[in-house]
Amino acid sequence: MHRMLPALFFLGLMTAVPLSAQAKLNLFACEPEWAALARELGGDDVEIFTATTPRQDPHHVRAKPSLIAAMRRADLVICTGASLEVGWLPILLQKAGNANTQPGGAGLLLAAELVPLLEKPVRLDRAEGDIHPEGNPHVHLNPHNIALIAQALTDRLKTVDAANANAYQARFDVFSQKWCDATQRWEQEAAGLKGAAIVVHHKAFSYLLAWLGIQEAGVLEPKPGIPPSASHLEALLQKLTLSPARLIVRTPYDPADASQWLSQKTGAPAIVLPFTVGGDAAGGDLFALFERSIALLKGDGRD
Amino acid sequence: MAVISAEMAVIVGPAFAAGLMIAVTHAPLGIVVLRRGIIFIDLAIAQIAGLGAVAAGLFWGEPPWWVVQGTALSCAVIAALFFHLVERFSPDRQEAIIGCSFVVAASLAILLLTGQPHGDEAMEQLLSGQLLFVTWPQIALHAPVYLVILALWFLRPQNRQGVWFYLLFSAAITSSVQLTGVFVVFASLIAPALGATRFAGTRRELATAYGIALIALLSGFSVAIQSDLPLGPVLVCSFMLSALLIGAWPSMRASRLE
Repeated sequence: MHRMLPALFFLGLMTAVPLSAQAKLNLFACEPEWAALARELGGDDVEIFTATTPRQDPHHVRAKPSLIAAMRRADLVICTGASLEVGWLPILLQKAGNANTQPGGAGLLLAAELVPLLEKPVRLDRAEGDIHPEGNPHVHLNPHNIALIAQALTDRLKTVDAANANAYQARFDVFSQKWCDATQRWEQEAAGLKGAAIVVHHKAFSYLLAWLGIQEAGVLEPKPGIPPSASHLEALLQKLTLSPARLIVRTPYDPADASQWLSQKTGAPAIVLPFTVGGDAAGGDLFALFERSIALLKGDGRD
Repeated sequence: MAVISAEMAVIVGPAFAAGLMIAVTHAPLGIVVLRRGIIFIDLAIAQIAGLGAVAAGLFWGEPPWWVVQGTALSCAVIAALFFHLVERFSPDRQEAIIGCSFVVAASLAILLLTGQPHGDEAMEQLLSGQLLFVTWPQIALHAPVYLVILALWFLRPQNRQGVWFYLLFSAAITSSVQLTGVFVVFASLIAPALGATRFAGTRRELATAYGIALIALLSGFSVAIQSDLPLGPVLVCSFMLSALLIGAWPSMRASRLE
C-alpha cells in the first residue's frame, strides 16, 4: 500500500490540475459592500479582491502593487460609479490595461447605473463642493437598490462565467428570497423611525434615510466633501435649537470632532453607523449591516 | 534580491523607468545643490511647482495637461530666478529665504485647497505622489525634458552654474514632482549627493551618487512589491538608508583599521 502512495499522490495531482486550471472567476470590488454582495452570489466560484477597506473613504485610494495586479487579473469589476471612484478607477483601469474590464464591456458593472439616483444636482460647479453630476453615489444603503444590483450582478456573473451559470442563479434565488424577507422585517422594525430628524456628517446616508422615511435635519459638511466650518456649524446649531434632531450620524472614516461638538451643544447623541460591511467591530455580511444600522438608529445596543 | 514575477515587472515597469530617469538627472543636480548649501531649494521649487499645478486645476476646472505643465513650470522658473537674484544680492540670507518660500508655498497650497472637496488628499498626493500609477505615455512625455537637461548639463559644463543652473533645476523638478511628489524629489536629489560627499570634487563623486541611487531604487522597488506598500514613502526611506550605508561604510572600516 505504501508503495502505492506516490502513485496515488500523482493521480491526485493529475486530477487536481484540471480543477485549478479551471480557475475561479476573479472579481475586483471597489468597495466592501460589493465584495459582500459578490460573496453572497458567487460563493466558492469567485475569488474576491476588495480595493478599499470599510474604514476608508472610497473617494481615494493609495496605489499599491497589489491593487494594480488585482485589476489586471480581474474577470469582472464591480464598483459604485456615479463618479465616486473618479479619482482613481479610470487611471487604474487604464494602467491595468485589462481588456476584460474596460468601460462599456461586460466585465465592468457600475452599481449606480442600475438604480434611481437621489440628489441629482441642478447646477454643476466645483464651487458647490464634491458633487457628482450623476447624483448621490452612496446607493447601497437602501435594500431595494441592493436587490436590483444583485440581479444585475448575477446576470454579469452568468455572462462572464457561463460554465457556472446555474450555480449563480441558484445562489441568487436563495439570496433574493432571504433579502426580500429581511427587507420587509427591517421596514417593520424601523417603522418607528419614520419622520425622525437626523443630522449627518456627509451625505453618505441619503438612501438609508429616504428608504426609512427619516428626515435629514442638517449636514455637518457645508458642501459635499468640504470639512465643517465654524460658521456653518454655528448656523446648524441655531437651526437645531429651534427644531432638535434625534441623532448625529457619521461614517467610520468621517472625523469625529464636528459631530461631537454639535452633540455636546445639542444633547443629541453622536453615533458612528457602520456604513458598509465590516464598518464596525461586529463585522458580518450585508444582512448584519442593515440590522446593525437600524438597531443603532433606534438606540438599541448603544451606550 | 527577491525574484519579481513577470506580471509585477509589467506593473512597476513604468514607475521604475520614471525612477531611473529622475535619479539619473537628480544625482548631478543634487551634488551642486549640496556643495552650494542650498538644500531646501528643491523642496521650495517642488512645492512651488506643485502649487502652480494645484492653482491651474482650480482656476481652469479640468485643464488640459499643457496648461497644468505650463503653469507649474512658470511658477518654478520664476521661483528659481528669484532664488538666483537672492544668491547674487544677499547670499548669506539665501537659505533662510528658500526655507521661508517653502513654508509659504506649502501654506498657500493648503489655503487654496481649503474649501475644495478632498483637498487633503490632493495635498497628500502633492507630497507623496502616486508613482505606481505612472504610465508609459507619461514617461514618453517627460523623457525628452530629462534628456535635454542631461545633454545641456554634461555637454556644456558652464550650464552648471549661474542662471542656467536655476533654469535646468526648475525644469527637472517640475517634471519630477508630478511623477513622484515632493518627498521622493527631495530624497533622490539629496541622499545620493550626501552619501558621496567624501569624494567631493573628484570623478568618483558622481559615480558613487549613481550607485547609491541605483541601490535605493532596486531595494525600494523590491520592498514595495514584496510587502505591498505605496512606492513613494518606501523610496524615500530606501534612498536615505542606501546613502547612509554607502556613505558611512568606508569610514567605519577606516576607523576599525586605525
